Amino acid sequence: MMNPVYFDDLKAGDALPSLRQGPISTAHIMRWSAASENWHRIHFDREYAVGHDKLPNVIINGSWKQNVLVQLLTDWAGDTGWLWKIGFQFRGMNLPGETLQVWGKILTLEDHGVYGVVNLEIGVLNDAENESTPGTATVVLPKRNGPAVPYPFDTSILKGKTANTKAVAT
Amino acid sequence: MKYITEEHLALIGAETELTEATHEVQSSETRRFYQAAMDPAPRYFDDKAGARFGGNVAPPVFPLYMFRRGHGTPDPLATIDQPDADGHTRAFRGLPEIKVDLPRLLNGGYEYEFFRYARLGERVFRKSRYRDIYEREGKSGTMVFVRFDDIYQTEDGTPLLNLTTTVILR
Repeated sequence: MMNPVYFDDLKAGDALPSLRQGPISTAHIMRWSAASENWHRIHFDREYAVGHDKLPNVIINGSWKQNVLVQLLTDWAGDTGWLWKIGFQFRGMNLPGETLQVWGKILTLEDHGVYGVVNLEIGVLNDAENESTPGTATVVLPKRNGPAVPYPFDTSILKGKTANTKAVAT
Repeated sequence: MKYITEEHLALIGAETELTEATHEVQSSETRRFYQAAMDPAPRYFDDKAGARFGGNVAPPVFPLYMFRRGHGTPDPLATIDQPDADGHTRAFRGLPEIKVDLPRLLNGGYEYEFFRYARLGERVFRKSRYRDIYEREGKSGTMVFVRFDDIYQTEDGTPLLNLTTTVILR
């Protein structure tokens, strides 16, 4: 777990510390498929993946890749912040042997008074820097010298505030 | 439209009952899950780290994976030797089956909103509904997109997370 991150210290365009996982082998894929009880043959049956689904090999589960995106943001937000929203599309495949680099970049910052809301762009790159899982996320953070984001998270803590949005300079 | 009929469109809005997960949040399952996800955050196993959350908790997306095969239910692998069997039902979340003549299934992506972690020992409940069913032309031909919403909550109705899933049939 990293040191707490405070809303006051951030600016649009900042990159999050990236998370690297891999190389991800067929054993990693098998372990996830078993832990999640996902029996889809494209993750363990190469003949089926290639012959039936016309894939180049078995593929790393999208449901596994979601974890690294969530982990990137929960590690960054720490226990005093909160990952509120995250969405992503499985646009590209990742294959056994690839090392994945999970990244995030701040798009906009919204000042809600006691707390701050950070909107981010996120994704997963492979060794060739091909993006497979583009998405966006919203993280709520405390301010320096302010209270932790209340847990459980309640969206009402952000209502009634005039958000001051700072966008990425283009 | 090639595959979507009025009967399919009539399923939009179909809902499940509020359904209880197969087991309560069990430490053996959360351990196997976070290890396979490669996200060893201390709040999952360390009492001190879990204190802010009322005790040790499960990874954010864990509630999705609590709806496992129940005792005395049919074996999903019983038909795995059939040519198009991939281990996945098209009756998503126990909603009415989406019958289209497309044999391949891919995970299209997730959109989450998180409020609270599920804590060890808690019972978890889910309610689902079909949000949308539509088709698009892709590089490999026509694809059918099925989108469904879930809400996850504790026994007393405390929200855990909301999720929209996109599944692609092709």
